[in-house]
Amino acid sequence: MISPIVATLLSGAAWGFDLYGTGALSGATVQVNSDLEVRYHQNSDVLEDFEDRPLLLDYWEQVERLNLLLSKPGLTIGAQIDEVALFGNRYILETPDGTQELFHERDLYDDTVLSAWDDAVVVAEKLTFQRRWDHVTLSLGDTYASFGRGIALNIIKNTDIDVDTSIRGARVKAGAGDLEVTAVSGLSNTQLVSRQLPNVGIGDDVPHMVSGVRLEHYGVGPAQVGVHGVVYAFGRAADAELDGRNRYGQSVDVVVDGVSVDLPGVLGIDWSVEGDLFGYRGEEFATEGETGHVLYASANAYPGKSILLVEAKTSENSERLNLLTTPEGWEAGAVPTLEYERVITEDGSAAINSNELSGARVRWDHVVKPGALLPYVQVSAFRDEDTGGLHFNSTPENIGHVVAGIQAIKGHRVIQLNGGYRMDVRDDPAEGADRLAHVDGELHVPVGGHDAIELIVDARSFQWGVNPGQQTDFVELVNALAWHRGEKLVITVFQDYTDNPLINSEGNLSENVYGAVEVLVKPKPSSTFRVFYGAYKAGIRCSGGQCRSLPGFEGGKVSWQTVF
Amino acid sequence: MIRFAALALLACLLGPAPARASGEVAADFSLRDLTGQSVSLSELKGKVVVVNFWATYCGPCMVEMPHLQAMYTELQSRGFEVLSISIDEARQAGMVKSIAKRNGLTFPVLHDKETTVVSQYNPSKVLPYTVVIDKDGRIHAVHQGYTPGDEVGLKEEIVALLDAAATP
Repeated sequence: MISPIVATLLSGAAWGFDLYGTGALSGATVQVNSDLEVRYHQNSDVLEDFEDRPLLLDYWEQVERLNLLLSKPGLTIGAQIDEVALFGNRYILETPDGTQELFHERDLYDDTVLSAWDDAVVVAEKLTFQRRWDHVTLSLGDTYASFGRGIALNIIKNTDIDVDTSIRGARVKAGAGDLEVTAVSGLSNTQLVSRQLPNVGIGDDVPHMVSGVRLEHYGVGPAQVGVHGVVYAFGRAADAELDGRNRYGQSVDVVVDGVSVDLPGVLGIDWSVEGDLFGYRGEEFATEGETGHVLYASANAYPGKSILLVEAKTSENSERLNLLTTPEGWEAGAVPTLEYERVITEDGSAAINSNELSGARVRWDHVVKPGALLPYVQVSAFRDEDTGGLHFNSTPENIGHVVAGIQAIKGHRVIQLNGGYRMDVRDDPAEGADRLAHVDGELHVPVGGHDAIELIVDARSFQWGVNPGQQTDFVELVNALAWHRGEKLVITVFQDYTDNPLINSEGNLSENVYGAVEVLVKPKPSSTFRVFYGAYKAGIRCSGGQCRSLPGFEGGKVSWQTVF
Repeated sequence: MIRFAALALLACLLGPAPARASGEVAADFSLRDLTGQSVSLSELKGKVVVVNFWATYCGPCMVEMPHLQAMYTELQSRGFEVLSISIDEARQAGMVKSIAKRNGLTFPVLHDKETTVVSQYNPSKVLPYTVVIDKDGRIHAVHQGYTPGDEVGLKEEIVALLDAAATP
């Protein structure tokens, strides 16, 4: 048996090298990236009848993500190997007949996952083969795809929220002149081993079939025109035992067709518009109606020293596409949110995932001094007619959000500051309005020699309208103070605060206050070593029109990220 | 052990192979820039190239950008190129244009909305992430993250590579 510790030591460093010889891969080079983390989870819960042993539920976890990339002209072969192991997970109990039996505190995986070890899993998570010719690129294995603005299809690597679902199948991209066609077909391959979520009870995923084609013409006069179609056949928990390839034989659940037109530089403005139609056929999807649509448009204008971005959208029944994949933690398609996504709350995420939303965003940047002084103002307004799903409100609402910010750089002094105010005003005056005030920013100041101080702040205050289900206003803070010693050493003190009753974590300094310290060492620019001890809060985080509640953490972490 | 198993598999496809200490060949890629033009890394062989991954939500990326632009303005005539790759999702295409414009970027800004390139070069999606490629198309260095002042060392690397002759 391979000890996870040995595996860790062997994979802790990363390197690259050339391959010689006369075989098919001669002349190729191999690059290996390693991303290793060892975590000690402190658990404040106590086991019934063992209240005098508060550390009983603590445990060690080790996660390794190893990426191997072989490349030569015209050819790329990649593999991502994920490994997770739980330490200190074993105990021996004496059975009534006097023999000793080995138990494990936590089940790392369920019976859908095959592993040679009781408390370790190694998964060849992503495998890629890509061959490039002059006008054609063929990818086999795990690939990603996003058509247009990602409304019909947006299956990408989204490590921001620990989501890495790929399409395991084939993808062809072919181009001739201004014409380009992309075709993709395969089964969804959901990431099993997580880096931010607890790796307990890992289960194999139920694959879904995704097939799509997008045709783009980059020279229709001044326009770039794209048309696409995507079909989905989803797996259900009830047929989890079936081979995923059976999805190709079952009836299609959702069909999405779309067209996009981009007009760069016409009248000095970059125009873009996309429309998508959703046809729902599967039983679960068609109960509330059989179609959906999205219309999105944007315009970038550059008058004088100003940059103006105007975006608008209207959508109905577009989020139903993700009905079966959202519970799995990922989404197949996403409508542009037009939100300031750094401050999404449990309430705000309802609008992101709304099935009936219309609105617009206007952002005005002004270049006072190029690269040095850049203020902006952004105003968003939405009408949310959906009251189901994640919504706390029972009547439709109008949403207004103003954000302003500035970036100023002088030498190595940097300040970035953003602040805003949002109101969700419900149609029924008796329901009142939700209010959110927020500010976030970074300040970097040299303090002599190679030293610098960095202050990072993120604060938000949320007030609910009249909401029988949840009526506790809350404040959240995520702050950090860092001392930079040259390029190679950073010591950071973190402080979080939240009295948000909707999140499931508890502070280590007090019920609502979290504290932590991290030492970061960069022995070389491509290698980062971190030691962290303390706690941070749970919270909702959004990326790609998808929001995910990430758990809090208390304990210690050692991580090493190296390239070659 | 995982690594050794993978290498053993590769060895089956190779002859005897002495290792070489220099950087790896940078995997080629093609992406569209913000005007719809296709740009390939392989087109830039013979030049010193910096591939810089960034995103609109990344604060340090915004601070690093003006320094990259200043280097590009100063060193472009000596054979220096920057490929700036936004890894923002498709929905942020409008914002990517705004950010590029407000920073006055004159080098190609590419949009890896499908995460196909970042998955190869920077699978953890660390931001910013800068890959320095020499005239032979080999990766000379990788820089994870950015702190004000880091650009000094980066420029020294680039100038040294520009001064060095390409392998005949």
